[in-house]
Amino acid sequence: MTMLASYLTLAAVLFCVGLYGVLTKRNAIVVLLCIELMLNAVNLNLIAFSKYGVTPSLTGQIFSLFTMTVAAAEAAVGMAVLIVWYRNRATVNVDEFDELRG
Amino acid sequence: MSTSFAEYAWLVPVFPLAAFAILTAMGKGARKTGPWIGIIGTLASLVLSLCIAFERMTDNADDYSKSIEWLQVGSLKLSAGFEVTNLTSLMLVVVTLVSFLVNVYSQGYMRDDDRISTFFAYVALFTSSMLGLVLSDNLLTFYIFWELVGVCSFLLVGFWYHKPEAKAAAKKAFIVTRIGDLGLLIALLLLFWYMPDHALDFTTIHNVFSTPGGVISVGITTLIALLIFVGAVGKSGQFPLHTWLPDAMEGPTPISALIHAATMVAAGVFLVARTFPIFEASDAAMTTVAVIGAFTAIFAASIGLAQNDIKRILAYSTVSQLGYMMLALGVGSVSAAMFHLFTHAFFKALLFLGAGSVIHGAHTQDIREMGGLGKTMKITAWTFGIGALALSGIPPFAGFWSKDAILAAALDKNGILFAVGAIAAFFTALYMARLYFLVFAGKPKQDGHAHESPSVMTVPLIVLAILSVVAGFVDTPFKGWLGEWLTGEAPEHHGSGIVMVVSVAVGLLGIYIGWLVYVKGTVRRDAVSSRAPALVRTLERKYYIDELYDLLIVKPLRSFGKALQAFDDYIVDGVVRLAGYSTSALGRLNSRLQSGQVQTYALTALIGIVILALAIAGRRFW
Amino acid sequence: MFNFNIDFSGEFFAFFSLAICAIVGAVLAINFTKVVHIVMSLAFTFVALAGLYILLNAEFVAFVQVLLYVGAVTILMIFGIMMTKHDGEGQEPARPLLETLAAIGCICLFGILFFAIRNADFPTEVAPLPDDNTRAIGLELFSRYAVPFELISVLLTVAFIGAVALAKREEDPQ
Repeated sequence: MTMLASYLTLAAVLFCVGLYGVLTKRNAIVVLLCIELMLNAVNLNLIAFSKYGVTPSLTGQIFSLFTMTVAAAEAAVGMAVLIVWYRNRATVNVDEFDELRG
Repeated sequence: MSTSFAEYAWLVPVFPLAAFAILTAMGKGARKTGPWIGIIGTLASLVLSLCIAFERMTDNADDYSKSIEWLQVGSLKLSAGFEVTNLTSLMLVVVTLVSFLVNVYSQGYMRDDDRISTFFAYVALFTSSMLGLVLSDNLLTFYIFWELVGVCSFLLVGFWYHKPEAKAAAKKAFIVTRIGDLGLLIALLLLFWYMPDHALDFTTIHNVFSTPGGVISVGITTLIALLIFVGAVGKSGQFPLHTWLPDAMEGPTPISALIHAATMVAAGVFLVARTFPIFEASDAAMTTVAVIGAFTAIFAASIGLAQNDIKRILAYSTVSQLGYMMLALGVGSVSAAMFHLFTHAFFKALLFLGAGSVIHGAHTQDIREMGGLGKTMKITAWTFGIGALALSGIPPFAGFWSKDAILAAALDKNGILFAVGAIAAFFTALYMARLYFLVFAGKPKQDGHAHESPSVMTVPLIVLAILSVVAGFVDTPFKGWLGEWLTGEAPEHHGSGIVMVVSVAVGLLGIYIGWLVYVKGTVRRDAVSSRAPALVRTLERKYYIDELYDLLIVKPLRSFGKALQAFDDYIVDGVVRLAGYSTSALGRLNSRLQSGQVQTYALTALIGIVILALAIAGRRFW
Repeated sequence: MFNFNIDFSGEFFAFFSLAICAIVGAVLAINFTKVVHIVMSLAFTFVALAGLYILLNAEFVAFVQVLLYVGAVTILMIFGIMMTKHDGEGQEPARPLLETLAAIGCICLFGILFFAIRNADFPTEVAPLPDDNTRAIGLELFSRYAVPFELISVLLTVAFIGAVALAKREEDPQ
């Protein structure tokens, strides 16, 4: 087993753990954090491929930089939405975010 | 022959039809003019009918018929036309005369009714249909008019539809006669099937069935004859389909006189007379007609003894007299039947109109609550008396001669039939005596309410009374020409002396007993009811026929209907509801899936992706 | 089947220990109930990941990782935690069906990914990356990726302004 496979497996583990957190955690802040964890797993993939890929290049690293930037923006906006929500409903529990209930 | 009135016979039903159309077009506004339109329409028909009849009497003209091709289906032709014979011209006069008088009478009787113009429109339509029925030259148009008079009867019986009894009676009349109509329809179809060239006109029927060893076998002939008779039984209120006729008295009294005494109920007799060759070709059918007729005559007369509603007594009397006519037909004497039909139409119309006058004056229909009306309602009392005597068969009134003719014909055929007829005549005299004495004799039971009816009502009574006196003389045993005129054969009168004596004797005996019981009081009124209460109750309940039908037919049919309704409610509707319910349940399920829980959505997406990936990966191992 | 074919080099030990650290941090984050603990253990994971990036010759990314995640995002989350109440923690009603299904789904997904990774055919030779990682990235960003870089800066600006606008307490009309 190559190093690349090891990195990818690690990324898969982190991704699945993050996904599990996103699906089960009630606290919206924790959900946001778990999304960050999933993004990090993706970043790990990108960087691993930038070194061990078919054509190793810096592109993977640059993409991961972009990803981080977008993730940071997402975290900031998400947190702002959460705070507004909390102001109106006094809760940050995801299962109470059911305004779209049918 | 140059132009004769018979060529314009088709106009006879057209006049009332036009009256009906005008009345319908004018609507409810025509309270004043409406009755006049009806009267004028029937008067025109009456005049034309009289012209036709007199023309036929004088020069003994040939039968006139004219038909046009109505429908052509492939090689099949259906024609519609009219035929004037002596028989039909007689019927035309009877129908138009009674109809005219009833129209005049109704103008007074129905004066205060809100729907008087509707009433006259219905009467005009009825008259028109009845005349069309009389004039029809083939069974198909005959059947159409037959149904039309049934519809008019339904409309008029239920004229006061706010009364539940009237509604029920109308429905009953319609449904019970429908049984008969079905018989007639089947007979019609059988004739259509078996007749050469599918001809349905009366002339061809006459020719086919008069030929000995004809084209149609005896079995089929009997079947057709019996089915036609079923139609006649339904329309003419013969046993066992008589139950609708007494109930039909819920309609306005002029209607009882016109439809349910004089004209429409006679249509059954007329039908048998018109198709008489078919009956003559089958002995079994003739016997059936005679037996049913005789039985109905005595059966209905015995019920009439125990009724208390004046119109119901007359209704059972009508049933009984129609039985006489059937008896006459059954023993082969068309002329006697038509003669009795002719006289009966007058005196029964008279009795009904008189009863209407009594009801109008006394405001009740229960004869036990009446009494002494003879003092205040002189004209009504006299004319009613004439009608009662005519019905009881006392000479020289019309009913005597015609009943005598029937009894003579019956005796000629079968002694038992004669005996039954004679007993029925005794019952007839008895119940008429009871009715007359209870209503007109004795002390008034109401204080001064009763008053004579207006002249518009009494004049028809007088006219009918005169007719009831003289109508019999057209065919007396001594000098008879009606029978010859109708059948074209010289009538033979057998045993007239005995018959006359018996007939008069039973009539007088009945009246005498009635006088003893209800006037003199020699015999106590409850002499019979105290000794045989069950018998009286049975008579009062009309032999429990209605109850029997209710038990045997109505109840099972109703439960069958309930079962079908349950099937409809639970199975058919259930399927429909299931379709609706499953759709809405699916919708509710889907709506529950839309829980608004983002994590549930995400989980669903994840599971979907996993399944997709597994499916794609699994394909490799397929 | 599982022929891991591992050469026990120094790089592998470093990877192994850092991977353990990352996974432990993530799993702990899932199991903790207090939000602050979760944030801290995830920060630990992020640091471990930064170490892995260094192992992968991506020093600049590792540096940004520490700066951005451990420094900015985590601190932002802690602020968020401080600005909201978390009374009901620990006694939340369990959602066993959801959790079971999520666990099954995640394990299946991991199985599929693992299966894919195991069956993928990866090149064995490793081409050397430029030594001066930061410089090379800078050159790339300002030449080849200049437009995306500017776009991402616009995105960041918009996001921060939007966040401020969202979170700003609305003025009372009075």
